[in-house]
Amino acid sequence: MKYFVTVGERTVEVVVDGEAVTVDGRRTVARIDVVAGSPEVRVEIDGFASTLAVAGRQGTAWQLVVAGGVRDVTVEDERSRHIRLLAGAGKAVAGHAALKAPMPGLVLRILVAVGDSVAAGAPLLALEAMKMENELKAAGPGVVTAVLVTPGQAVAKGQKLLELGPQT
Amino acid sequence: MTRRPMRRVLVANRGEIALRIMRACRDEGLETVAVYSDADAQAPFVRAADQSVRIGPPAPAESYLRIDALIAAAQATGADAVHPGYGFLSERAAFAQAVTDAGLIFIGPPASAIVAMGDKTSARRLMAAAGVPIVPGSTKALTDPDEAAKVATKIGYPVLVKAAAGGGGKGMRIVRTPAELPGALTTASSEALKSFGDGSVYLEKYIELPRHVEIQILADQVRTIHVGERECSIQRRHQKLVEEAPSVAVSAELRERMGAAAVAAGVAVGYRGAGTCEFLLAASGEFYFLEMNTRIQVEHPVTEEVYGVDLVREQLRIASGLPMSIPEGPLVPRGWAIECRITSEDPANGLLPSAGVIQWLRAPAGPGIRWESGVESGSEGTLYYDSMLAKLIAHAPDRARAIAVMQRALQELMVVGVATNVPFHRKLLADPDFQRGDIDIQFLERRPDLMAASDDDAAIERIAIAAALLAEDQRISRRVSAPAGAANAGASASAWTQLARRDGLR
Repeated sequence: MKYFVTVGERTVEVVVDGEAVTVDGRRTVARIDVVAGSPEVRVEIDGFASTLAVAGRQGTAWQLVVAGGVRDVTVEDERSRHIRLLAGAGKAVAGHAALKAPMPGLVLRILVAVGDSVAAGAPLLALEAMKMENELKAAGPGVVTAVLVTPGQAVAKGQKLLELGPQT
Repeated sequence: MTRRPMRRVLVANRGEIALRIMRACRDEGLETVAVYSDADAQAPFVRAADQSVRIGPPAPAESYLRIDALIAAAQATGADAVHPGYGFLSERAAFAQAVTDAGLIFIGPPASAIVAMGDKTSARRLMAAAGVPIVPGSTKALTDPDEAAKVATKIGYPVLVKAAAGGGGKGMRIVRTPAELPGALTTASSEALKSFGDGSVYLEKYIELPRHVEIQILADQVRTIHVGERECSIQRRHQKLVEEAPSVAVSAELRERMGAAAVAAGVAVGYRGAGTCEFLLAASGEFYFLEMNTRIQVEHPVTEEVYGVDLVREQLRIASGLPMSIPEGPLVPRGWAIECRITSEDPANGLLPSAGVIQWLRAPAGPGIRWESGVESGSEGTLYYDSMLAKLIAHAPDRARAIAVMQRALQELMVVGVATNVPFHRKLLADPDFQRGDIDIQFLERRPDLMAASDDDAAIERIAIAAALLAEDQRISRRVSAPAGAANAGASASAWTQLARRDGLR
């Protein structure tokens, strides 16, 4: 079976045939052992073993804990990748994005206004959580199209704070 | 000696330190009382206590900071002593006084010692009088450039021009040569005027690349002693992340000098119990008093490991009027201990705090490992309190082996459900500069790479292989609809994959 695995910005083609696993054309021997009653999984690749954990899964989106870090990974087979590409889902996301609260907290300050043009990494909003002030930054360049919260407002994790549109 | 028998201790704190104190109490045959906010009703420390009392809603101001509720809880449960832990009310003189006024034992220093060390300016003056070295500087505001030049020459370049009303680096200038001084005075003063409405500035010696080295002291009714140093130079925004004992920068001779200064500081304020003097240690070997923490500290376990003492037990003994159980004569550190603070701060998300339920927690164990945690599988991370989940402490015969033991333990540790700073610790411990002990308090500012999420191609490929195999495992176990007794059903269709499948259907 052929899979397209996206880790961060990189998509890797992985062909699995039993323990023979080909990664971007390179052959390896790999296997996993799922630990019963636990999210832990033993992974052995070319004789090197490590342990990761599955934190969650929704369809093709997996959240793994690898080397102490949380990794969001997408695993698609050819069919689901084909369907997604046909639907153009990949394109719709680019250029239009919402800033969501990465954790519950309190909005302290809004550092931009509707119509502002922002560069990647520009501070957008200050959020207080766990007694710490955190500056949320733009993931990419864009124009602020909507500000959905006000200073002093408590927000839930994942709540939309701002919307960014494509730069004109 | 005045004996004050103690039978039941109320722990006015939460999380790992509450559990730590209750364990020490149990070891000493003392009963314990936990107090908890609504956010902590299910917490391990509450279950560890003999009795527990709800004191209010999650916000600290409505629970752990309510002196009246804490005293009432102590009286209602028949507690005869109160341990404040660290943070919260531990360094509020008013709390120590209220506990004492209620006829209870405060397990900590007298309120007068907390007051004396609480105000930084008066503490510095007091320390200077006691012969404890403080950062040399002008004692009054300076405006005249000629007078400032004289003071700067006396304390020696480089000097720091600081706003008297200041904070946060505003109105601050480093001056390395006499020629730069007049200009720096003018700009610092106008910046201070703009920021604080007060243009007065003063001078202080600028310490290049200092280390944060602190000395643990213990004082009973007869003796005040020091229990060596801890180095806490690995900090981010003044939050310590990694601590160790001893320090690579402290020789036996320097330890005795710093120890003597810390003991003098304690004696000067009539200290009792466990306390810590924080110093800046310059590369030259000169050290300067910063402040005294009049409580048990987060990083106390590294001292316990290398000196073979139980500092909380000594606190309990001293509070009840017993002498400390540490023999007289100089103490020698045995081996090396390192502590990593495991926090729920996500390196992949700019080290923002990550909240959620800990679905699964596997703590490291084995030789040389100590795990001090207030959470377990099922605990919910809350944003009301600080983000530390646990302290991981490694102890080995020398520093290199302590690092190796810590690296092994971090590999064993598995936290699922909240993101942690474990990737940072793994990178730090593998860093050649850290391994050489080449650190100072600005180390992490210079090394943002240690805080950033990063992966090489090989790591990404390994993740991709594992993820593809997981997807394949799911595909196969779904197709083979697992007839009873199927030979490999146990291997692939584990309880976890079944759970994941159910989640997927939801």
